[in-house]
Amino acid sequence: MFDSLSVLGPWIFLGLGILLTMLVSSIRIETKIPAKMVTLATLALVMISSAHLFSQDTKTVVNGLLEVSPLTSMVLFFMSGISFLFVVGSSGYLNKEKLHFSDYYNLVLLLVLGASVLVSAKDLFVMFLSLELMSLPAYALVGFRRNDSRSNEAALKYFILGGALGAVFLLGTSFIFGASGSTQLGQIFEWSKGYNGELLLFVVGHLLILFAFLFKVAAAPFHFWKPDVYEGAPVSVTGLMATVITSAAFVVLVRLFNLVDFHSSGFTQYLDSLKQLIRIVAVMSLIGGSTILILQKNLKRMLAYSSINHTGYLLLGLLGTLGHPEQIYSIWFYLAGYSVITCGLFLMLSQSETANDQGLELVDLTGIMKRNPFFAVVSSIFFFSMSGMPFTVGFFTKYTVFMSSISAGEVTLVILAAICTVVAAYGYLRPIALMVMRDPDPTAANFVGTRANQTVIVLLALLCLFLGVFPQALIQMTKGLELIP
Amino acid sequence: MENSQELTALLILPLLGSLLAWAVPKASQRLYALFISAIHFALAIFIASHASLGHGAGLEQNLPWLSDLGVQLQLRMDSVSVWFILLSAFISFVVLGLKGTWYRRNTQLFTSLSFFLIFALNTAFLSTNLIVFYLAYEAVFIPMILMVGIWGSNAKAASVFRFFLMSFFGSILMLVSIFYLSYLHFVKTGSFSTNLSDLVVLTTDPNISLSWCFLGFFLAFAIKVPMFPFHGWLKEVYVNAPTPATIWMSSILSKLGIFGFIRFISPLFMSSLIEFQGVLLALAAFSVIYAAFLAIQAKNPKALLAYSSISHLGFVMLGVFSLSEAGKASAIILSVSHGLTSAVLFYLLELVEERQEGISLDRYSGLAKSYPLLFTCLFIGVLASLSLPGTFNFVGEFLVLLHAYPVSALCTILSGLGVIFGSVYMLKFYQRLGFGTAEVEVVKDIAGFDLVVVVLILSMVVYFGFQPAIFMGGMN
Repeated sequence: MFDSLSVLGPWIFLGLGILLTMLVSSIRIETKIPAKMVTLATLALVMISSAHLFSQDTKTVVNGLLEVSPLTSMVLFFMSGISFLFVVGSSGYLNKEKLHFSDYYNLVLLLVLGASVLVSAKDLFVMFLSLELMSLPAYALVGFRRNDSRSNEAALKYFILGGALGAVFLLGTSFIFGASGSTQLGQIFEWSKGYNGELLLFVVGHLLILFAFLFKVAAAPFHFWKPDVYEGAPVSVTGLMATVITSAAFVVLVRLFNLVDFHSSGFTQYLDSLKQLIRIVAVMSLIGGSTILILQKNLKRMLAYSSINHTGYLLLGLLGTLGHPEQIYSIWFYLAGYSVITCGLFLMLSQSETANDQGLELVDLTGIMKRNPFFAVVSSIFFFSMSGMPFTVGFFTKYTVFMSSISAGEVTLVILAAICTVVAAYGYLRPIALMVMRDPDPTAANFVGTRANQTVIVLLALLCLFLGVFPQALIQMTKGLELIP
Repeated sequence: MENSQELTALLILPLLGSLLAWAVPKASQRLYALFISAIHFALAIFIASHASLGHGAGLEQNLPWLSDLGVQLQLRMDSVSVWFILLSAFISFVVLGLKGTWYRRNTQLFTSLSFFLIFALNTAFLSTNLIVFYLAYEAVFIPMILMVGIWGSNAKAASVFRFFLMSFFGSILMLVSIFYLSYLHFVKTGSFSTNLSDLVVLTTDPNISLSWCFLGFFLAFAIKVPMFPFHGWLKEVYVNAPTPATIWMSSILSKLGIFGFIRFISPLFMSSLIEFQGVLLALAAFSVIYAAFLAIQAKNPKALLAYSSISHLGFVMLGVFSLSEAGKASAIILSVSHGLTSAVLFYLLELVEERQEGISLDRYSGLAKSYPLLFTCLFIGVLASLSLPGTFNFVGEFLVLLHAYPVSALCTILSGLGVIFGSVYMLKFYQRLGFGTAEVEVVKDIAGFDLVVVVLILSMVVYFGFQPAIFMGGMN
């Protein structure tokens, strides 16, 4: 009993935190400081309790519905850490935007809870429930700027699409249930081992649930919602989406890809067509993301296309892992590195002094180097890292992904990805060039961060550089994270 | 090969210099930079003198780093890298003495970037691990781009973009090729490795075709050198960059490409080199002639020197592509001599432009009368650049032509014409700057540190012109 309690520890803390913040906000909605403190304490406790579980063996709890493994605890640790940094770093932004209410924190905790259950889910129904648990607070957060029409539009768009995807996912689940007789991932895997018969029902179901998650990670051509949602949502929420939601969705995507035993003879042909499918989606994400990225004028839209481009690299890594499970660490490493960069970059953007994120056009960065060298230098580090320059973590994330997919024989695809890297690098160089090479425009928006915000950003920038020189420790850690079917 | 701990000092010293620059007050940045780079040069000489003790064997050092990814910090100083290290250390010292806007605006950033550049260059010249080399090769961009961006002139943004994108394009394909080589090594032996010494094994296997990998490496280095038809980025960047960056690029960064050809391409892809030798020699010879024509037509003196650089580097490539050991050795000699002469020419041009703004080669500027000492130095520099017998360039170009002739007489003769065109544009350069009777407001003639440095380089150029024996070690 107590053993399973300690395993459930992170979720219990999250649940208590959610109740407490709800209580606080029901007393007075403006009482943000206690809610913030509760949130920070909750996230810290979640980090500590999930760090305790790193070395434990894989367990299934709640009648085999949830899995607690080094992978899930590491992802949970990471997600709560990133959310912690966002909460610390964005209160100045929330104050400025007049969004600083205690509900905000309640929703953030709910989102983290949903994401963490999603990562642990071993049953398609639990997956669906936790997907909704993660998405509902996300819709509310995207539309948190109630009086801004773009924020409302983004929330509505996100909500409608998310609802439709939930339905698609459920439909897929029912097909898979029909084919395999179970919704538990472990049992489906067992079923597939000896299976050699008709696949149509299963394939349709599998593709449907995959589509749902390809939408969620916004792989092209399922990406069109992302720029609008990114642009409309408050910066701190966009950052959470780009890190926590993307990471959780991608972990589940990897899980769903490995739903069946591809070594079993009945599935070899399906594996080939599935690979072909990912190849197409990866190529479209890489080319689409990088080329549209360089045309953007708005920073948030640019980062949306950048994340589509990064999804392409992740899918490339996924391709490398199909049939080579030892290469799977490249995906975890990529997600971790990408989250660090993205978190830093969005916290930088939250320093903009204009209301409603109006001042987040690329031209607003013009000549920042002369007015605000801190901003220019640190965000250059993040942009360089995004483009994969050496001595930043971005280099090694690309390195491991390229390496794993070359090992899987995807040489042409890697060459294409390399060319897309150059194209995208142009896009990331543009803001740097604007910041460093031009004279400042006195009417442009200024960027001023609070002390807490700047501390977090400096920490992230240092982490970005440190992992760019000594990625060894993180690689070792991620190498220990196996995906258990 | 002797195992030695000294080589890391060549990496640590500039890195420390880069960090400590932020602690030094702005007013004494130039002194600080000169001091550290002088120590660095002395250290390079000291280690180099050790390296040649073992009779061409050199020094080696292995440090563990990223063993999970098959990457090792493997440093080697041998008869190839030693000249590039020394040249880079010396030129860096010279460059950091040059006064200009970079010592007035964002000074600490300039010094810090400079030492980071030296660190990256040393790593690139020493590493025999392909990934570490690639990292350093890319890292060179960062200070370069920022230098052009911050202290450059006019249309710098566009030129930086072109420079960055072309170079990045080349080097990322090289990275893919490195991955592929590493993968082939994995297939063959069961472990990933990117050490040059391990990968050479692959070349002995007749079943493995490495032509595509060769292309990846070739593009990266050909863009860096640059060679026709990959020279598109060069002129704008050279013209817009602040002079220290220009000197670094023409004297050292271009040599990084040449070094890559000698250190990595020739051991790894000898069969491809032999296969494409005709094309490569023709490209090199065409580079010589084509760039010379561009130089003759250039209006901007910096652009003229930039094109003359491409032309001279064409000679170097000719030596490399002759594929004989002697040819490569003469290519190294020519690299060093070109590094010295182009540095002194850009240095002197900066001094001239400091005194007279808006110089164009369309008209006669008539500056020689007002600055007799400066123009005497410039004249010697011009003569050295057009390979007058008795200067270092002559030795290099003569040896290159000598060793290229048996391989392809036609390409050698064509390149030989380049020497004649060389005198056409260099003399035009001197004539338009120095002669004529324009009214000039006289400032101060060359003096002090500038004079000492320029005379030092010029006497080196002349001395080695008569005594090239010290560089001939690799020829035997």
